Amino acid sequence: MPLHVREELRWEKVTLFRESRWIPLIAVVLLICLGAVCVLGVVGGTTFLVPLSRTEEAGPVAGAGGPNESNAAPPTQTREAVETPKEEPESPTALPTGEQVLNVPGGDPPTLDPHLSGDATSAEYVVEIFSGLVTFDRELEIVPDLAESWEVSDDGTVYTFFLRQDARFHNGKPVRAQDFKWSVERACDFRTRSTTADTYLGDIVGCRDMLRGNANQVEGVQVVDDYTLEITIDQPRVYFLAKLTYPTAYVLDQENVERGGRTWTDNPNGTGPFKLAEFRFGELIALERNENYYRDPKPQLERINFVLSGGSRMVMYEQGELDMTAVGLNDIERVTDPTNPLNSELLTVESMGIFYIGLNVEQPPFDDMKVRQAFNYALDRQRIIDVVYKETVPVAWGIVPPTMPNYENPDLKPLEYDPEKAQELIAESKYGDVSEFPDITFHALGAGGATGRVIEAIVASYEENLGVQVEVQQTDWATFLSDLNRPDNPNQMWGGEAGWIADYPDPHDFLDILFRCGSFQNHTGYCNPEVDELLDQAASEEDRERREALYRQVEQIAIEEAPWVPLFFEVEYWLIKPYVMDAYLPPMVVPKYQYYYLER
Amino acid sequence: MLAYLIRRLLWLPLLLIIVSFITFTLGYYGPADPIVALLGQHYDPEIATQLAREYGFDQPFAVQYLKYLERIARLDFGESIKYRNQPVLRLLIPRLAITIQLNAVSSFIGVVLGIGTGVTAALWRGKWVDRLVVFGVVFGRAIPVFVAGPILLFLFARTVPVLPAGGWDGIFSRSAVLPVVLLSIGPMAIFARQTRSGMLEVMGQDYIRTARAKGLREVAVVTVHALRNAFIPLLTILGFLLGSLVEGTFLTETIFGIPGMGQFAFEALGGRDYPVIITVTLLVAVAYALGNLWVDVLYGVVDPRIRQA
Repeated sequence: MPLHVREELRWEKVTLFRESRWIPLIAVVLLICLGAVCVLGVVGGTTFLVPLSRTEEAGPVAGAGGPNESNAAPPTQTREAVETPKEEPESPTALPTGEQVLNVPGGDPPTLDPHLSGDATSAEYVVEIFSGLVTFDRELEIVPDLAESWEVSDDGTVYTFFLRQDARFHNGKPVRAQDFKWSVERACDFRTRSTTADTYLGDIVGCRDMLRGNANQVEGVQVVDDYTLEITIDQPRVYFLAKLTYPTAYVLDQENVERGGRTWTDNPNGTGPFKLAEFRFGELIALERNENYYRDPKPQLERINFVLSGGSRMVMYEQGELDMTAVGLNDIERVTDPTNPLNSELLTVESMGIFYIGLNVEQPPFDDMKVRQAFNYALDRQRIIDVVYKETVPVAWGIVPPTMPNYENPDLKPLEYDPEKAQELIAESKYGDVSEFPDITFHALGAGGATGRVIEAIVASYEENLGVQVEVQQTDWATFLSDLNRPDNPNQMWGGEAGWIADYPDPHDFLDILFRCGSFQNHTGYCNPEVDELLDQAASEEDRERREALYRQVEQIAIEEAPWVPLFFEVEYWLIKPYVMDAYLPPMVVPKYQYYYLER
Repeated sequence: MLAYLIRRLLWLPLLLIIVSFITFTLGYYGPADPIVALLGQHYDPEIATQLAREYGFDQPFAVQYLKYLERIARLDFGESIKYRNQPVLRLLIPRLAITIQLNAVSSFIGVVLGIGTGVTAALWRGKWVDRLVVFGVVFGRAIPVFVAGPILLFLFARTVPVLPAGGWDGIFSRSAVLPVVLLSIGPMAIFARQTRSGMLEVMGQDYIRTARAKGLREVAVVTVHALRNAFIPLLTILGFLLGSLVEGTFLTETIFGIPGMGQFAFEALGGRDYPVIITVTLLVAVAYALGNLWVDVLYGVVDPRIRQA
């Protein structure tokens, strides 16, 4: 650097510093200011984002630190008096405002748009805010919802729904057949980008055409008059009504959706038992009772606060910040101990889900059925599940969960633990001996953490009972799915901690979707024309018993031919405070909070 | 000074273009895609293709990237894929607010306490205070957030349950105490250590002796003469502090279930929610760049020798 510049610099330094000997102090003050500005700015910022403010009537809610109301809520007044629910015989006497407030754990919903929701978290809120033609009762039987009754044509393809005339959207507008037609067409419009319309509405004549951009309307949905709707499907499907219980088939208010634009769900005008009162991402979703709800039981809770911010839900439950919570594996032992006071608040829910190991029938060594059977026989499932899951879940010997309504298979012959038979089968297989097997990799879900204990136990069992080394490879959920969905699924075996959960309570959702040749959810590549034939018959069989018998046959064949090693049926453990009455915990996401009430 | 500042700021867009390019490339060629994550178990190749077309994912890399850049230039960060139809910024801002509050408070506490401890240790060099500080620094630096976090939780939420185990009720609530403590350990240890060594070096200088010789009070000697010069290396660390805080925040937010940006970004990675991932990456890059710029400017204020270098 040239000297004269340095000279100049020195001079500058002298003048500057002579005036300010307090530079270090200034620096510290600057730092403090910066910190303060950050905090103030940000705190101010959040307040700015949620401008409306009102007294929190919700009691101790974690995540509701600022008693602000988001712009999500329409300016409804808090009601002073609570109507005594008339139709509920076991309902408590009228409670003063502020007591029927339930605090439950929740998750951030990817969407509140029924037509877009395809995940359980979203559905949890959507089923309370919106509703459709039919729904499930507490026994998971299909019951009328917005449709008062319906008729099915003799050939089983035309459904005529007669709508309730007293049903209203939250803003008081009556629900008419035209709203349903518009809603189905919106869901089937490819521009809506629904991920579930194909599954749930695809059977309706014209919906698939619209999904592919080949039609402007769904001709299978016809408005007969304001309160009569006619839906035509492509062929008789006994499970079709069950599909209509799913949010994709719910009715929306056209005006609400069109006026609200892409974020119309900020102010959803639904038809369900509850209305959205507040929504702060990552913090809180609050639902308020719909006072004009049309169906029994009428909701009794005034407000449900879903606490979205994380933290230990168990601790929050024990401190009274939550009225109910699911129990994690780490706490199960503690709460199932009868001497623990929490034990009396414990409730188990058998979900309609199964966990299994998938075996790729197109990849060696699982291309030989005998090897697949051997992998079933070689696993002491009862012991593994009992040890790992502390005897909290039942072993799955079959495929359809025991909670499935109108279906059971008591005569199912499972492939029970028999290591000798397993070895015999391998000797009989085309490989003859395990030394002839290619390397086997087990694809498990996970992102860098330790392998789940159940997978460790499975791998150890195969080594012990068959002398097979199974290597475990972990991938994250998206990669895991991406591999399974490839037409040439590269995985040999996978699962363990991944499973299948019912979308609708019908054996079709397990046996047809997961075992039919070429079904996109049939990742094992299993294909048996005999099974397909039985599935076709079952799909259109209206006689309940004959249909059940057909599915039993399918289940038995699928177990014997062993594209799966079923592991266990899912069970959830919940703690619920004793003052929460009629706490109904369904095995799948269906409207439930209209049954709840509090009695302190 | 102004010209320098402008020159430095002009580099920012270029930096952002490079960062966005790397993130975009990794996303484009990496395993799985957002459509798979979105469809989950309802996957159907035809629907997947249809959705990919709707989202524009079927277009070539260059077209997608340039379109993205063009939107970014208009400060349009797009819509989340996982959170259907929700603008990214709308999702991000409330979470970012929490992260910034947490970071600002923790780094402020960490820096102030760190400098204080460092000065104390230097002034009582070799005494028990000094030894304790040196030990504490080693301990604080060596123990990572993901170890210290659960330990704090175990001690103050489980064994002696005086503080909530997680959740978020705002920065001025009890739920913020443990995360702030956890996040300020790192900066505090670094600053204590650097202040101590800086002070020790400076205290041995001739001008300190001169200052003492001309009869200045010890307080003035320390604050005006010693601390000012010990500050220069500290400013460098301040720039890096931003980086370590970002990393620490991601972990801290996950441990305590704080709905901040770190937790959100982690979730977005799982869902291959690229609009969110890229926006977060750009934000972090801007924070880094501005942090360093701020440090350079402060350098100039504290030490004019650097001002025009």
